[in-house]
Amino acid sequence: MSGIELRAMLEVVLAGGFCGALGFWVVSERLAYAGESLSHGLLPGLVLAALAGAPLLLGAAGGALVAAGLIALAARDARVGPDTGTAVAVTGLVGLGSLLALAPESPQRLQELLFGDPLGATDGDLAAAAALLLAGGAALAALLRPLAATSFDPSGAGALGLSPSLVRLTLLGLMAAAIAIAVQGLGALLVLAVLVAPPVAVRRHVRAPGTAMLAGAAVAAAAGVAGIQLSALVGTAAGASVALVLCAAAGAGVLLPVRR
Amino acid sequence: MTAPSVLAEDLTVGYGGRPVLRAVSFEAGPGQTVCVLGPNGGGKTTLFRALIGELEPMPGRVELSGRPAYVAQTERTRLDFPVTALDVALMGALAHGRWWLPPRRADRATARAALERVGLAAEADVLFGELSGGQRQRALLARALVQDAPVLLLDEPLAGVDPASAQLIDAVFADLRAEGRTLLISSHDVDGARGFDLVLCLNGRQVAFGPPAATLDRATIEATYGRELIVLDQEGAARAVTIHHHEHHDEDR
Amino acid sequence: MPSPLDLADLPFLREALAEVVLLAAAGGLLSAWIVLRRLAFFSHAVGSATFPGLVAADASGVSPLLAGLAVALGYAGGVERAGRAGREPSEATALLLVAALAGGVILASDVFESGAAVDRLLFGTLLGLEPADLALSGVTVALVAVASLTLGRAWSAIAFDPDGAPTLGLPVARADFLLLALVAVAAVAAIPAVGALLVAAIYVLPGAAARLVARTIPGLLAWSLALALAEGVIGLYAAYWLDLPPGPPVAVLGSLTYAALALGTGLRGVRAGAAPA
Repeated sequence: MSGIELRAMLEVVLAGGFCGALGFWVVSERLAYAGESLSHGLLPGLVLAALAGAPLLLGAAGGALVAAGLIALAARDARVGPDTGTAVAVTGLVGLGSLLALAPESPQRLQELLFGDPLGATDGDLAAAAALLLAGGAALAALLRPLAATSFDPSGAGALGLSPSLVRLTLLGLMAAAIAIAVQGLGALLVLAVLVAPPVAVRRHVRAPGTAMLAGAAVAAAAGVAGIQLSALVGTAAGASVALVLCAAAGAGVLLPVRR
Repeated sequence: MTAPSVLAEDLTVGYGGRPVLRAVSFEAGPGQTVCVLGPNGGGKTTLFRALIGELEPMPGRVELSGRPAYVAQTERTRLDFPVTALDVALMGALAHGRWWLPPRRADRATARAALERVGLAAEADVLFGELSGGQRQRALLARALVQDAPVLLLDEPLAGVDPASAQLIDAVFADLRAEGRTLLISSHDVDGARGFDLVLCLNGRQVAFGPPAATLDRATIEATYGRELIVLDQEGAARAVTIHHHEHHDEDR
Repeated sequence: MPSPLDLADLPFLREALAEVVLLAAAGGLLSAWIVLRRLAFFSHAVGSATFPGLVAADASGVSPLLAGLAVALGYAGGVERAGRAGREPSEATALLLVAALAGGVILASDVFESGAAVDRLLFGTLLGLEPADLALSGVTVALVAVASLTLGRAWSAIAFDPDGAPTLGLPVARADFLLLALVAVAAVAAIPAVGALLVAAIYVLPGAAARLVARTIPGLLAWSLALALAEGVIGLYAAYWLDLPPGPPVAVLGSLTYAALALGTGLRGVRAGAAPA
């Protein structure tokens, strides 16, 4: 087990752990499509950062912000509807990102940005992932009761002094941060799996939010480690391998009989 | 007794295997109007869906003489659809068969005549979304007219409609009745129901069916609307107003 | 800057131009229906889903078009069986697409060692368009045109009033499935030129932009067709000029056009206060 592989596994455990937990809320609040749109839409930010030699995290964060803004604008139009509006914004952003990346003068890093490069994790990436887990984890723990209240009874929560839209906004912000940090390892096209697959894998088996979040974190971390090891063993692309293991975990979770 | 144009016998129907409406048995003949009363969620729309064949009886029997015309409750998403009032009326012609061909001149004439009948002749080229609520309802009614169906099912056709449109619509209903068609109209207007030939009260099951004078007594009304009913006496008129936790779109004016 | 006339003069560009014109014609008409029937996500998903099949076929000598059609039509069938819920983006489809993309890239880079094919399959190519591609595009245009003429009225009535349309005697389920199947075939036809990831550039963007300015359905079809042709040809020229695959420039052009028209016609949010009943 080389140092590079150890770092890669550490990164997927840290980032994946947080994403697997956050994913419980992403799925229960039906934010999967928003997450998918955000992760595809931040591609130009990633490409610009890669072209400028800047840290990918900055590009991802900036790209996510711009994408969120454009998607929100486009989705508001009642004539085409939110789904079509989102599709327009995302297609344009993916087109822009790939246009910049495929220009002959650009260094050929597009596949790494699309499909991830866990083995290329830098110290900065590890630090960011650790920070995400700590700060994000604390935020999730603090928000657990408000999230549960607004998620399961939005109208009643208002009476408790909680604002469902504020809670939802916080969730979106956490999701954007998680995507921006995890995208280095899994790429813009695959990163959604680390948010959606773990909760899908556990939701038939574990119901309580707190336990489901922990279970999701565990599944994500385990899938991440397994994916990296598999890719080292068989010689396949690391990011894509992790993504496939995550999807397989989701499939297993859906098909396995529930223990009563 | 002439053969009924719409009939339900021991009908139980629901969604996903779970019944939401039980034991409905009624029939109506040509030229009869039926007012379907009941709280929201009581099964009025479910009944209509069963009558148009979208839901399978589980068990029970449904019979209609020919395909009915259905004017469903309007939804928000249709407001921006790029069709004019004439286009909407013309959709009724699809029911005449050969829907894969372009509309014929005769169909266009029929559509214009239908718009005339509902008082929308001048608005033929106005976009559906730019019409008022009452005008939209009239456009959908024009579509049902073009469809030329022996039975018409209308789900709360007067909800949110301005008085002028409501009057026009009522006049068209009277004409249709005179033409020998059967009308099933769901509504929250308990008082207005007394003007119908028959009433059908639903609340998860059939509470009562029959001529309004004999059927609409206090016990029946309470059994139909249950605890959600507030009976307001305004100028001696009784109206049913149901309270909902989430949305208020069923107050009848 | 190369002369635009090169598009007509140089043989390989002539083929690319013919392909783009055919696809734009199909895309212009079809995207009007895709936007009206809210199939934007489906049209993107069906393209991406074919990616692993295309990689495998490409490397093993099987016709990628056939492989693509098999996968796409299978996906369309699955979506149709899932009912109305199947068209909307969900966790299941999101994970399916991730698995397809991840599987495809592993097949390409590690199994078949055809890593260079990935860019071409995802974003399209100017070169290497085969007669089979043009043939499929031609068939697609013909199918879309015939379908628009015969099924158009039914599709409109169903989109306008999904509850009432069955009472008009319309074969709703079959008309719906034909539309999904048509979108699937059209998506596969577009992949050689614009790539599996950007089929929406041809099948969503023109219709969406046209929707902002057209008042009636014939107007929508006309605008969509015009925009698709313009975006396709100009995008092709840009691809030639900047030495890029055609998918990205067409996508960027399409979204910029949409943005311009949205700003021009005034951003219209969801109507507040429209009476729901």
